Amino acid sequence: MTAADAAFGAPAPRGLAGSPVGLLVRLVRRPEGAFGALILAVFAVLAIAPDLFVGPLQTAVTAPGTRLSPPSAEFPLGTDELRRDMLNLTVHGARVSMAIGLLATLVTVFIGAVVGIVAGFLGGRVDAVLMRITDFFLVIPTFVLALILTPIIRDLVGSGSAQVLGIRMTLIVIVIVIGITSWSSTARIIRSQTLSLKERAFVDRARVIGAGGGHIMRRHILPNVINLIVANAVLVFAGAVLTETTLSFVGLGDPFQPSWGQLLEASRTVGAPGLGAWWYFVPPGVCIVLVVFAFTLVGGALDDLLNPKRRGRR
Amino acid sequence: MSGSYLARRLSSALFTIALIVVVNFILFRAMPGSPERVILRGTPNVTPAQLEAARERWGLNDPIFPISFDAGGVVVSGDNQFFKFVGATVAGDLGYSFVARGQTVGDVLAQRIWPTVILFGLGELVAIVLGLALGAYSGWRRGGRVDLVGNGVSLVLYSTPYFLLGMALLLVFATGLRWFPTFGMLTAGVTYPDLGARLVDFLAHLALPLATVSLGLVGQYAIVMRSSIVETLSDDYVTTARGMGLSEGRILRHHALPNALLPTVSLIAINLGYVVAGAITVEVVFNWPGLGTLAVEALTARDYPVLQGVFLLLSVSVVLANLVADLIYGLLDPRVRT
Amino acid sequence: MTTGVPPGGSTGAPIGAPIGAPTGAPTGEGRPRTLPKQAVPGAPLLEVEDLRTYFALGSDTVRAVDGVSFRLDAGEALGIAGESGCGKTTTALSLVRLLPGNARIAGGAVRLYGIDLAAKSDTAIRRYRWREISIVFQGAMNALNPVTRVRDQVAEPIVERLGVGRRAANRRAGDLLELVGIPRARGSAYPHELSGGMRQRAMIAMALACDPAIVIGDEPTTALDVMVQAQILDLLERLRERLGLSLILITHDLSVIAETCDRVLIMYAGRVAEEGPVGEVFTRPRHPYTQKLLAAFPNIRADRRALDVIPGSPPDLRTPPPGCRFAPRCPAAMAVCSEVVPPEVRFADGVRVACHLYPDGSSGEPVPVGSTMSVART
Repeated sequence: MTAADAAFGAPAPRGLAGSPVGLLVRLVRRPEGAFGALILAVFAVLAIAPDLFVGPLQTAVTAPGTRLSPPSAEFPLGTDELRRDMLNLTVHGARVSMAIGLLATLVTVFIGAVVGIVAGFLGGRVDAVLMRITDFFLVIPTFVLALILTPIIRDLVGSGSAQVLGIRMTLIVIVIVIGITSWSSTARIIRSQTLSLKERAFVDRARVIGAGGGHIMRRHILPNVINLIVANAVLVFAGAVLTETTLSFVGLGDPFQPSWGQLLEASRTVGAPGLGAWWYFVPPGVCIVLVVFAFTLVGGALDDLLNPKRRGRR
Repeated sequence: MSGSYLARRLSSALFTIALIVVVNFILFRAMPGSPERVILRGTPNVTPAQLEAARERWGLNDPIFPISFDAGGVVVSGDNQFFKFVGATVAGDLGYSFVARGQTVGDVLAQRIWPTVILFGLGELVAIVLGLALGAYSGWRRGGRVDLVGNGVSLVLYSTPYFLLGMALLLVFATGLRWFPTFGMLTAGVTYPDLGARLVDFLAHLALPLATVSLGLVGQYAIVMRSSIVETLSDDYVTTARGMGLSEGRILRHHALPNALLPTVSLIAINLGYVVAGAITVEVVFNWPGLGTLAVEALTARDYPVLQGVFLLLSVSVVLANLVADLIYGLLDPRVRT
Repeated sequence: MTTGVPPGGSTGAPIGAPIGAPTGAPTGEGRPRTLPKQAVPGAPLLEVEDLRTYFALGSDTVRAVDGVSFRLDAGEALGIAGESGCGKTTTALSLVRLLPGNARIAGGAVRLYGIDLAAKSDTAIRRYRWREISIVFQGAMNALNPVTRVRDQVAEPIVERLGVGRRAANRRAGDLLELVGIPRARGSAYPHELSGGMRQRAMIAMALACDPAIVIGDEPTTALDVMVQAQILDLLERLRERLGLSLILITHDLSVIAETCDRVLIMYAGRVAEEGPVGEVFTRPRHPYTQKLLAAFPNIRADRRALDVIPGSPPDLRTPPPGCRFAPRCPAAMAVCSEVVPPEVRFADGVRVACHLYPDGSSGEPVPVGSTMSVART
């Protein structure tokens, strides 16, 4: 603890909406918040322990069924062209999609929060330069940039079978690419909150007693924007899941760790819609819609709780 | 519209385009393989003379950036790869495609740009008209039947990736009901008796991708417009208009709508960048021969120059579309004109 | 409850007397005001009786206006005063039912020329808005449409409500702007291009557009600086004389009422505390709340003294106290005050008071209530 903290007890008053736990309680009191949270909880359980529900991920070798068979008692969601059980693939897809979404959200929000706090707090030329870059990423079609960056970075880091946290390097690259290309809106939101916090008395007090900029940002600004960061992270998560799905759909996924997007890509390559093999793409598709829908509901509810005056979504 | 507003928007757009070129240059340098090999990859049997010519042409013997550092300190030079690259980009020279042998990236892009313009131009148009109308009506009759149903549908559409929507439409209307063809822009191998027949075939192919794009966009536009209308309806000038005894319809048309459109225009513009991602995947689902399928083909073949060309073209288009949106905003809102 | 009968029913001009058209300039033809078809002959201009406006707040009911009665005669200016949240704005907006979605008129009558507006349907009441009762809102920046030229906003009700052609309406809008002191050419400006005072003038021009019987000013000068405030009040005063307007002025600023109004209505927590001629109420305040309110305002009638503050805060209108609503804060509160709602009693000088200190039949001599800074003066 530094002198500044000793002088004023708690690092800074908790702003906005109290503790994160209190926020969660108020969230699930709202019907749309509770509904969204329930969907997410179900998928979280599936993602944490897929083996418990459907056994280990099936491969072309261990596949038990026949080729592209429609749903039956044995395979409630049918099979794919490699004779794998779609239920097995979909549940395991939850793990991959949610894990990539989570990691990408962490990277995105980290970059966005750092840029936002630094730009807002320092102001002046640093702010101007950072916001120019932020606006650049806000305007350009970042997805196309991600399309180019992904193969280039994969070539740089090399794609073998190396894994990080049990996730293959190919997918880690996707996480990094999503992070690089989607932080801009977070930065904007955090910056404007930082700007208003900077004017508040407790920041002045800290400054008067000689606390450094880094210290003020970490101990006084950050605790007051953390709720906003959480609310934003929920919306970023929805976007990250969508981006991952889309990147996988255009062929940048990893067939060895199939996400929902990867399953959709496989189904398109096989021509499932043309063959009438709806069971190949409907289960992963419905999962994606449900998860994004749930995150949007929760994010919207959080937004309402934190900014009661600003009812607009997005 | 005042000159300063115009100048500000224009300079901002130019700055963004300049940054796009810089990013493109960095990507070009970051591509795997030595630059001259990258440049000449489409060319068969590269001779050392050709290699040297390419090195000269792209300034690969010069420093990368105008300012470089060597043992003697800072060197500032006009001869550098960055300037050469920028010069080539400005002249429209984006290099050669790796895959389409002997074709410039410019040629490849030119063949694929119109299908995308038609599909997305029309898609945006339909979505903006329908989305704004639906959103305005839902917001105006908040809590009504249209609002409740529309809001739910909008949220689901908003959460659905475009390509998934496309696959569903494909399954139902092409595979199942056989109303529409499944892929492409025209039926392959058919000779048309006249232009009319050709147009009919084209429209049949266009229907499903267009519906996908429009449906994908309509949800988010409706959501944005709805919340914007709801917000304006609680504004004081709407109370004034009510106090005047104006009819609800007139209040909506003359007071709420013109004001609610303002934030909507900005949000639609800022979302254009995201829409491009959807655009690409819809084209892929329907094999629509536009820039999206081109990007994915180039991605699969690691045809980096084409990929970069697509990035440049789409980015600059989005920036220009944003500029247009800024100008429309300026026309709609007298406050930014001064 | 005694309903408000203003002193000497003959104050204003007789009902239906010609009220000058807004200008003597081109469009002004000095036509007499045409009364609504359903007008009752001989009925007073405006009579509000036992008005109750409640807000739904979650599962609670907020009794924002709870039994307010008053009367406004033609050509008269009535000031409604009280702390913020006392229901003065809600009272005024209830007249033409310009209320938020969660509010409803739960009882009482609003009789304009004897026509009960409170009983009108949502569509029917529109015919009375602006043509009979118009409103000058607080903070014209927000009350004017930011994307429409000022002249068009003034002309809109003329076209829409009076059925006047576009060109004639624009001409009349220009006249009105000149009347309120805005050069005709400035009519092509947008609201943000005008100063605060100019915007408020434009708002007044709008309010005059349909030649209404009553203009309500809802804190019309609150957002303005002092000099501009004085100009706007002066303008209202002149317009009133020139056009024979009847005015309801809502403000928390008693000095504004002292300068502009004939009668004053002091509200507290959704009820009338005291009502009467400005001269009587301001020099010989009876209700303890009026006394406190006057003491809390500096410089009325150039009598400078230390400010008094009223301890405590107004009651929660979801669960108002059973008796007099001011009782919890009243220095003169008696046992009866917290149990029985005080009846409104009118005295010989035309002042109506709702306070147990002044029962029916009493002399009505003001009783100064305890405070070190005495407010009782003669």
